[in-house]
Amino acid sequence: MNKITIVFLAVLGLTSCQKEIDIDLNSTNAQVVIEGEITDQNEPYTVKITKTVNFTESNNYPAIKGANVTISDNVGNSEKLIETSAGVYQTSKLRGISGRIYTMTVSAEGKTYTAQSTMPALVKLEDIRVVKSTFRPPTEKEDLYNVFPQFTDPIATGNNYRFIQSTDKSGKDNTIIVANDNVENGQPNSRPIFSRDFKIKVGDILTLEMRTIDRPTYNYLFTLVQIAGNGPGGGTTPSNPDSNIIGGALGYFSAYTVQKKTIVVQ
Amino acid sequence: MTKLKSILSFSLLILATSTFAQKFTINGTVRDKATGEELIGAVILVKELPNTGVSANEYGFYSISLPQGKYNLRLSFAGYNTLTKTIELDKNLKLDWQLENGTELQEVVVKATKENDNLTTTTMGTSKLDVKEIAKIPVIFGEKDILKTLQLLPGIKSAGEGNSGFYVRGGGADQNLILLDEAPVYNASHLLGFFSTFNSDAIKDATIIKGNAPAQYGGRLSSVLDVRMREGNDKDYNVSGGIGLISSRLSIEGPIQKEKSSFMITGRRTYADLFLKASPEFKDNSLYFYDLNAKANYRINENNRLFVSGYFGRDKLGFGNTFGVDWGNKTGTVRWNSIINAKLFSNTSLIYSDYSYEFNISANDNDFVNQSKIRDWNLKQEFQFFPNTRSSWRFGVNSIYHTIFPGSFINKKNTDTNPPKEGRTAWENAIYANNVFTISPKLSIDYGLRLSTWSIVGKGTYNIYDRGIKTDSIKLNNGEFGKTYFNLEPRAAINLTLSENSNLKTGYARNTQNLHLLSNSTSSNPTDQWIGTSYNIKPEIADQVSLGYFRNFADNKYEFSVETYYKSMQNQVDYKNAADINTAPDVESELLYGKGRAYGVELFLKKKTGKFTGWLSYTLSRTERQIDGINDGNWYAAKQDRTHDISLVGMYQLSNRWSLAGNFIYYTGNAVTFPSGKYNVAGNTTYLYTERNGYRMPAYHRLDISATYEKPRKGRFQSSWNFSIYNLYGRENAYTITFEDNPDDPSRTRAVQTSLFKWVPSVTYNFKF
Repeated sequence: MNKITIVFLAVLGLTSCQKEIDIDLNSTNAQVVIEGEITDQNEPYTVKITKTVNFTESNNYPAIKGANVTISDNVGNSEKLIETSAGVYQTSKLRGISGRIYTMTVSAEGKTYTAQSTMPALVKLEDIRVVKSTFRPPTEKEDLYNVFPQFTDPIATGNNYRFIQSTDKSGKDNTIIVANDNVENGQPNSRPIFSRDFKIKVGDILTLEMRTIDRPTYNYLFTLVQIAGNGPGGGTTPSNPDSNIIGGALGYFSAYTVQKKTIVVQ
Repeated sequence: MTKLKSILSFSLLILATSTFAQKFTINGTVRDKATGEELIGAVILVKELPNTGVSANEYGFYSISLPQGKYNLRLSFAGYNTLTKTIELDKNLKLDWQLENGTELQEVVVKATKENDNLTTTTMGTSKLDVKEIAKIPVIFGEKDILKTLQLLPGIKSAGEGNSGFYVRGGGADQNLILLDEAPVYNASHLLGFFSTFNSDAIKDATIIKGNAPAQYGGRLSSVLDVRMREGNDKDYNVSGGIGLISSRLSIEGPIQKEKSSFMITGRRTYADLFLKASPEFKDNSLYFYDLNAKANYRINENNRLFVSGYFGRDKLGFGNTFGVDWGNKTGTVRWNSIINAKLFSNTSLIYSDYSYEFNISANDNDFVNQSKIRDWNLKQEFQFFPNTRSSWRFGVNSIYHTIFPGSFINKKNTDTNPPKEGRTAWENAIYANNVFTISPKLSIDYGLRLSTWSIVGKGTYNIYDRGIKTDSIKLNNGEFGKTYFNLEPRAAINLTLSENSNLKTGYARNTQNLHLLSNSTSSNPTDQWIGTSYNIKPEIADQVSLGYFRNFADNKYEFSVETYYKSMQNQVDYKNAADINTAPDVESELLYGKGRAYGVELFLKKKTGKFTGWLSYTLSRTERQIDGINDGNWYAAKQDRTHDISLVGMYQLSNRWSLAGNFIYYTGNAVTFPSGKYNVAGNTTYLYTERNGYRMPAYHRLDISATYEKPRKGRFQSSWNFSIYNLYGRENAYTITFEDNPDDPSRTRAVQTSLFKWVPSVTYNFKF
C-alpha cells in the first residue's frame, strides 16, 4: 500500500522525497543464527552458523567455528557435518529423501539447538511459461514478462512452494517467493510469480527453481516476505519470524525438494 | 381535629394538583427562515426563569413545560439573529420559530451555539463542528473536510499525513462510530485517506463525543461522530459548487412542493486521472473517486415528517489491467418523525449500510480477487419525552442484522473449485433509556443504561482456536442461533456549576463493540476487513472515567477547558506475527487477544468572537496494549501513542472580503518497531527486532495557511476564492522509515526516510446561486 500511495502522489503531480537518515538504534547482544538445509539432490548439504551484528556495522556476520553439527533422519541414518570453511558445516554421504523427517542438532558455544523438518513429496514442475505483463512501470521502455510455473497442486491440502528465478542478464532474484494451496487447492497452477524489482525481457535465458517446502519453512519465509522492504507507515509491523529451531537461535532448518527448468524468453 | 386535618390535606391535595394542572406545554420546531431547514441545537431560554431552557433536538423539535404565566422566550443559534417572543401561557401552545441568518456574520466568523453553551450542557468530551468555520481552515488540496478539522481538537489524533482516519483517546481507527444520517459508515476515507467520504456541501451538522456518549449511541469503544446531512431548501432553488485542482463539487437543492417537501443532491468527483490520459506514461492508470449524497423530505402534516437520504461513493485505483483496487460505501436511511403529543416525539428509522472492497490482480487469462463486504439492515425506534423543564428522556430499541463476507482470495475464472468464503450473519440488538435531569440550578445529571446483545446466526461453521490451533468446531444451520453475548452499558455524567463562569463535569461510561477491523499494517488500508464477534472473538469492552473543568472568560469571549480521562479496554483483537491475512482458510486462526489502557489530559482554549478567532489545543497522553503473544506479553506503546499533540488554529477577518486562516500542528512521532541488529538468512539481509513499538518516528510538525476572498454579490450569485498552502515551511515529515542494503555499498545497510508533501499549494473556486 505504501508503494501505491507513492504512485498515487506521482499521479497527482506531487513528488515524495526520500533521503538517508541517521537513527540512533539500540545495540543488542549478538545472537546465534542457524540456516540449515537438506535437499533431495545428490550434493553436500550445508548448515551455516553465524552471529547477528549491530545495524551500523558492516554486513559481515561473524562465523561460529568449532560447532558440533549432526543431521539424522527417522530411519536411522545420521551424519556429523564437517566444517568446510569458517561457520559452514557440510555433509558428505547423507541422502535427502522425500517423506523422511530430518533432525538437525547443533552444539555451539555451550548451547544445544535442535530442529526438525519433513521433506515434502515432490510436485512435478511440468514446464514454465512466460507471458507479457499488462503492467509496465512509467519509466520502463521495454515490455516485461511474468513467469507462470506449470504444475498441478496435489488434492490433499498443505502443499507449500518456494520459487527462485534467475536470468543470464540479471542473475539470481533475491526476492523470496513462496506460495501455498490455500487458494486453488488441487488445481493446475494459474498464478504468476510477482517479483517487484526483477525484470524479465525478451531474449533472456530464464531459469526457474521450484522447491516443495514444509509448513514451518513456509511460515518462516512468508514472514520475511511480509516484513521485507516495508517500514512503519505502509507495511506490516515487523517481528522476528517464528523459527523451528528449539534452543533460542534465529534462522531455520528446512528439508525440501528441488527442480529446475530453463527456457529462452520469446 | 381529625376532620380539620383531612380537610386541610384535601385542600392541599387540590392545591397541589391545581398547580400541577396549571402547567402548560409549548412545543414546535426551529427553522432557518430562508431555507426552511431545521436547526439542530438552537437554545430557547425563559427570561423570567433563570436556568430554565431547552434546546431543539436533531430534528429541530423542542418541548418545554411551564406554569401558567406571561413569559419572554429567547431563541439563539450560532450565526443567526437572536429572536425573542412574548407569550401568554394559559393553554398548550404550538410555537414554531424561523430564524434569520445573522447580518453580522460577515465579520464574526465563529459564534458559540450559545455564549456559555459549553457550561450548561451536561455531556462531556463533546465538540460540535461549525460547517461555516470549517470552510476557512486550510486543508490539503483545498478540499474542506470535517474529519481533518476534527483532528485539530484535543484528544483526536490524525492517523497520519493527510489522512482522514483518526484516533480518539487511544482508541483504534475502527473504534469510532461514524454515522451519516444514522447510517454507520465503515470506511470514511477516499483515495487512501487523503479525502474523507463527507462532502461538506452536503453536511448540516457534525458532533463528536469522545467516549461519554449518551445511551442512544452504542457499538464502538472510543467515540461517536454523528453527521447529519442537509435537508434542502424548501422555499427556493439553489445551485452551489466548487472547482478545485483535484476535485469538483456540485449541489442542487430546492422545493418539491413549496414549504412542504424539498430535495438536496450533491456530487463530487476527482479528476486528476483525466489529466493522466494526456500523459503517455500514465495513460493506462486510473485513480479517482466519486460520491453522491441525496436527500428528500416530505411534511405529511404538522406533526409528521418523512426523510429519505442516501450516500453512494466509490474509489477506483488501477495500474494497467494488472492491478486494481476498488472500494466504497453505500448507505440509505428512511426516517419518520412524529410529534405524538406536545411532550412526546418519536423517530423511526430504517437504515441500510454497506462497505465492500475488491483487490484485483489479473495475470494472463486469470483474474484473482481479494474481496470482503459488510452489509447491515438496521431498524431504530426512539422516543423523546419531555415531562417537565427539569427532565428529558430518550428511550428506544435498535436492531441490526449484519452480513459479513470475510476476506477471500479467489480466482474468478475458477470459483467452482475455490468459492469465496461464505458470508456470516449476526443479529445485534440494543434497548436503552437515557435521562437528563436538573437536580438543582447548580447540579444536573445525564445518565442512562444500554443493554446490547450480539447473536451469532447460522448458517456457518465456526472453528474454535486456542492460540491458532483448532480445538473444536460448531456448525450452525440456516437461521439457527449460536452464542449470544449480553452486555450492560451504564453511562452517567454530572455537571456541577461552580460559578456563573465555571463548571466541573465528571462522567463514567461503558461501551462495547462487536465489529472489529482487522489490520496487520502500520497504516489504514481500504483492504482492512471487518469481522464480527464470534466464539473466539469476544465483545470489546471499554470503561472510561473522565473529569473536566470548564471556564469562560471575558464575557464568554474566551472558552477554556481541561479534561482528563482514563480508559481501560478489554478483548482487543490483533493479528499474530506473520498472520496470513488474505489466504488463510479462516482468518480467526490468525488472531491474538489482549487489553489496552489509555489516559491523558486535554487542554483547550478558544477565542470565540471578534475579528480574530481560533483555538489552541494540547493533549498529553499515553496509550498502551498488552497482547498475549506479542512483545512477550509485556505492555507496549500502541502505534497511535503520541505523548504530545498540539494544534493551533487562527482565523482573521481582514476586511469584508478577505479572511486569513492558519494552523500549526505538532505531535510526537508514532511508536514504531525498528531493528536492533541484523543477520543474513535465505540470501537476504534480515533485521533483528527486540521490542514491539520500542522506537519513535521523528516528531511531526507543519504550518498551513489560507486566504479566502469573497467576491461582491451579484444578485443571487455569490462566489469566493480560496487559496492555501499546506506545509508552508516545507518540513519533511517522515511518512515511512525503511531499512535496506545500501545500493552504493552492499556491505552496509542504511535507513531511508520517505516524506510525502513538502508543500502543496491549492486554489478552489466556490459559487452559489
